[in-house]
Amino acid sequence: MIFVTGPLFAGKQEYIMEALGWDDAQFEASAVRDVQDLAAELNTEQLRALADTLAEKKVVIATEVGGGVVPIDPAQRQSREAAGRLACLLAERADTVIRVCCGLPRFLKGGETMMENRGAIKQTESDKAEQER
Amino acid sequence: MFTLVIGGSASGKSDYAERHVLSLKGDGPRIYIAAMEPFGEEAQARIARHHAMRRDRGFETIECYRNIGDVCLPEKSKVLLEDLGNLTANELFGADLPQADAYGNLNTEHIAADLSDRIAAGIERLLTKCSHLTIVTNEVFSGGKEYEGETLTYLRVLAALNRKLAARADLVVEVVCGLPEILKSTETGR
Repeated sequence: MIFVTGPLFAGKQEYIMEALGWDDAQFEASAVRDVQDLAAELNTEQLRALADTLAEKKVVIATEVGGGVVPIDPAQRQSREAAGRLACLLAERADTVIRVCCGLPRFLKGGETMMENRGAIKQTESDKAEQER
Repeated sequence: MFTLVIGGSASGKSDYAERHVLSLKGDGPRIYIAAMEPFGEEAQARIARHHAMRRDRGFETIECYRNIGDVCLPEKSKVLLEDLGNLTANELFGADLPQADAYGNLNTEHIAADLSDRIAAGIERLLTKCSHLTIVTNEVFSGGKEYEGETLTYLRVLAALNRKLAARADLVVEVVCGLPEILKSTETGR
């Protein structure tokens, strides 16, 4: 499983679809996004079970939500906390962890095979550009 | 050469960007474009102090709060624009933007796409007028998703600009605790 994390509106989905050469249908079938929203009211055991289930997907995307001031509202505080813990559990289970910032990837874990794929995709693109010229 | 420097507040991004511009070769003048609109005496005093400080470091300061593509620059300038968050706020909150679509619905995605295209086009024009451009931008996207209205539009515009400019830039650096992490460098092929 590839776990993609990063700030809000950072271009996480766009990046991973481009890197893997996926269309919308492939993304729909093999990926899940905004998983931080699934964590909200879960306890430790439930978070583990959720992480195990999500790990069966090819790609899991979460938005980082823990960077601001700790919320006063207990429910918001709890859901933010759960989102962070879920992200750690997913990173443990992932072969590859990528943080996307401004649409640019940083590999936090693994990624060797993904980089090869990406290289192949880039190659095809530059070949195409070459032919058009 | 086009460089984008991103970081959270007080991350050391400005200082890094300034040192980056000082390290650039070439004999053109160093120009600092300040995008923060001065409101009140305190801000004016602070800005005057910053002007003097940057003059000592060899920067001439130009104020530009919106329509960045119209700014006049000496030839071969090495430009530092600070910062994109302020420029975006000035464009978004100071301008007469369409607030609703033909059906009277708010459509923040549409407004954000339009405005980010317009600001990006201005930056594209700025790039044609100087030899080096370094832009400081803001990482304000890790504090949750519970935004609405104008704040949400603002975040969408700034995020879209960050993505567009990062794709366009030769060098993209994220600064954390004053330390640079290279996210992209066409020089090293990263």
